[in-house]
Amino acid sequence: MNAGLVLVGASYRYAGASKLTLRSVDLRLDPGRVVGVVGPNESGKSTLCLVVTGLAPGVIGGRLQGSVGLDGVELTAMRPHELAQQCGLLFQNAASQLSNMAATVFEEIAFGPCNLGLPAAEVVERVWWALQTVGLEELASRDPARLSGGQGQLVALASVLALRPRYLLLDEPTSELDPAGTEFVAAALERIVQETGAGILLVEHKTDVLARIADEVVVLDHGAVVLSGSAAVVLADPRLAQLGVEPPGRVRVERAVRAAGLGWSAELAEAVE
Amino acid sequence: MTKAVLAVVGAIVAFGVRGWTGPAVVFVVVVLSAWTAGVLRRMAPFALATLPLVVSILVVNTFLYPNAHDAIATVGPFSPTWTGATAAAQATLRVVAFGLSAALFALTTPVDDLLVELERRGLGRRGSFVVGSALGAVPRTLERAREVADAQRARGMDTEGGLWRRFRGLVPLIGPVLFGALAEVEERTMALEARAFTAPGRRTILRSLPDSGWQRAGRWLLLIGSLAAVAVTLATPVRLP
Amino acid sequence: MGLLKRWIARQFTTRVIVLMPVAIAINIVLGYTVQSVLKLPIYVDSIGTILVGCVAGPLPGAATGILSNLIWQYAPGIGPGSQIGPFAVTAGVIGFMAGIWGYLGVFRSRPASGLRLIVPVAIAIAIIVLLAARMYTIPQYSDPGMGYPGWVNVAIVAIGAAASISVALFVFLRRDAGGAWVAVAGAVTGIVAAIVSAPIAAVVYGGVTGSGTDVIVAALRQGGADVYNASLGQGLLSDPIDKTITSFLVFLILAGASSRFLARFPLGDRLISPGASDAGATDGN
Repeated sequence: MNAGLVLVGASYRYAGASKLTLRSVDLRLDPGRVVGVVGPNESGKSTLCLVVTGLAPGVIGGRLQGSVGLDGVELTAMRPHELAQQCGLLFQNAASQLSNMAATVFEEIAFGPCNLGLPAAEVVERVWWALQTVGLEELASRDPARLSGGQGQLVALASVLALRPRYLLLDEPTSELDPAGTEFVAAALERIVQETGAGILLVEHKTDVLARIADEVVVLDHGAVVLSGSAAVVLADPRLAQLGVEPPGRVRVERAVRAAGLGWSAELAEAVE
Repeated sequence: MTKAVLAVVGAIVAFGVRGWTGPAVVFVVVVLSAWTAGVLRRMAPFALATLPLVVSILVVNTFLYPNAHDAIATVGPFSPTWTGATAAAQATLRVVAFGLSAALFALTTPVDDLLVELERRGLGRRGSFVVGSALGAVPRTLERAREVADAQRARGMDTEGGLWRRFRGLVPLIGPVLFGALAEVEERTMALEARAFTAPGRRTILRSLPDSGWQRAGRWLLLIGSLAAVAVTLATPVRLP
Repeated sequence: MGLLKRWIARQFTTRVIVLMPVAIAINIVLGYTVQSVLKLPIYVDSIGTILVGCVAGPLPGAATGILSNLIWQYAPGIGPGSQIGPFAVTAGVIGFMAGIWGYLGVFRSRPASGLRLIVPVAIAIAIIVLLAARMYTIPQYSDPGMGYPGWVNVAIVAIGAAASISVALFVFLRRDAGGAWVAVAGAVTGIVAAIVSAPIAAVVYGGVTGSGTDVIVAALRQGGADVYNASLGQGLLSDPIDKTITSFLVFLILAGASSRFLARFPLGDRLISPGASDAGATDGN
């Protein structure tokens, strides 16, 4: 039984484009694991998210080669609403995810479950769970069009959670958040993994977040995987800086200390964390 | 839902029942309802906005009504006619009655409830999405148009002045507004699919709108009654004033 | 019956459903703005309708037009008092026709040069002249008993000439033969719109619309036309111009959109000319 979200040799080209955006990507996402994705701009990270959720080529067209499978079933064989319940995607631009049909945050989050035709009681339960997980209970009756950037992103996250997907894909979820908000989201993601056993694919610039919650990290450059492995190893790799990715704080401190000729020890590493 | 039917009935009667009676009835009903609902003052801008149309109707029809010869007076080349004036007044009443009934509807109906009702009665999730999204998109697009216009004005384009200058000021406005609006189509389509918009079956409705038997009966009565009134005035030689 | 339902469903894909509200908003915002700035009988309030029609099909186009009018009339806070609701019928017809033009591939870019440019332009000008001549000779305009003033004929000739020159200029400057067909489609749409609107204006509004074109109506009545014919006359003079300009704008928009954007629409394949460049397509990140 090959559980998990598996990409084998996945290459993708947008409709009408001349170059491949993803080249022969191998990736594996298991339930309960957090995989981070880093890379310079234009490296294909967002496209990767679209391919993993089946939106590409399913909704936007384009050409996919290789295999993208969920528990052994190819994504291309599944309908969009079935995919939505398996893989939830949080877009980079939270505002475009709003349905614009909901008068309150509560109804906005309920949009997905209502679309599925679930009984009202279950919809309400799911919405409250999602609100609590992202900590937005007080905002439940606010107008979704009038939220700040960070709040909007959290609402979008809650909306995705309400569908109870087994795999969660997030494209730079903390980009609009301040450090407190970032910390909050990181903690929320950890909780989600523990409570629901979901597998998370996290595209992030903020490597500190990945250092904290990711089990593995994959580095993309020009659409190809150039580095992959356990989070600790990859994030400490000296090649990251060349690729325009800033290593997490701990790694930078360690390098600075070593470069100054001072010793580094495990106790220091603990203290920095 | 009742209010929607009322608005439709108002329109039907105002336009369908020829002569004075229909529009007058609608006008009186609308004004009374507005007064009891407390929105009479807010109807004022709607009434004022019909002014250019009303003026045009009155002027053109009073002075230039075809085949009318019962002049009120003759001032130089102008001879307003009674027939024309009557027709003009009737048309004015129709327009005002219709406009006010539409205004009453707009002012007193919470949009979200209406959309939910329509969806329940068969408009479907796609229909209510289109209407709801459009209602939200208009202020947003207007806002964006204003921003673009301000930016253009800061760069020297102006929207006052002669025709050619106004035209030149307008052209660079249309492009960004249009393309900005179209750019989000792709992402929104993906977002909708990712939220299971295309799932089969009926959508769960969370809001419940009470609807009594009286309201239902009343709606049917109004609808049938108004259509009957129109049919009567069209068919029979009975001429209401 | 199943075939009909499938035809309907094919036109209302998710992408179309997302496009429609945007098009409705564009109709209302541009219609309001252009009207108040230019103060000419050029409304451009059907630009979204025609756009949806030619990328999605007749039914979405008609629906966009009808909904635009109803929302403008009945929705709170949007241009209060605008009396455009009854003209929803006209808007629906415009959208439906745009769908037909879309099916016929009228709005496809046809880059060409030399002789291949001249022939369509010549045909288009011939059609315009034919239409103008037809309008010139319809009884309403020429029958002295009906009494349209002579300046109407002059106006028709002037408009026809201006239209022909503009179309020719457009086609040659952009080296795009498609412009010729767009012009014809726009003119025909405008004429049909005028014919549909005239009875509505005459019966509902006593023949006037509260905009600047009422001057034309007055002048026509002065010449002796009755209510319906005055409205028809005014419509035939102003609507084809407005719809042709609007159609050209839609054509320009489609030319500027990437084939990636158009491809996934129901009529997308009829809009993409072979060998189209991917202007505007990015490779994403």
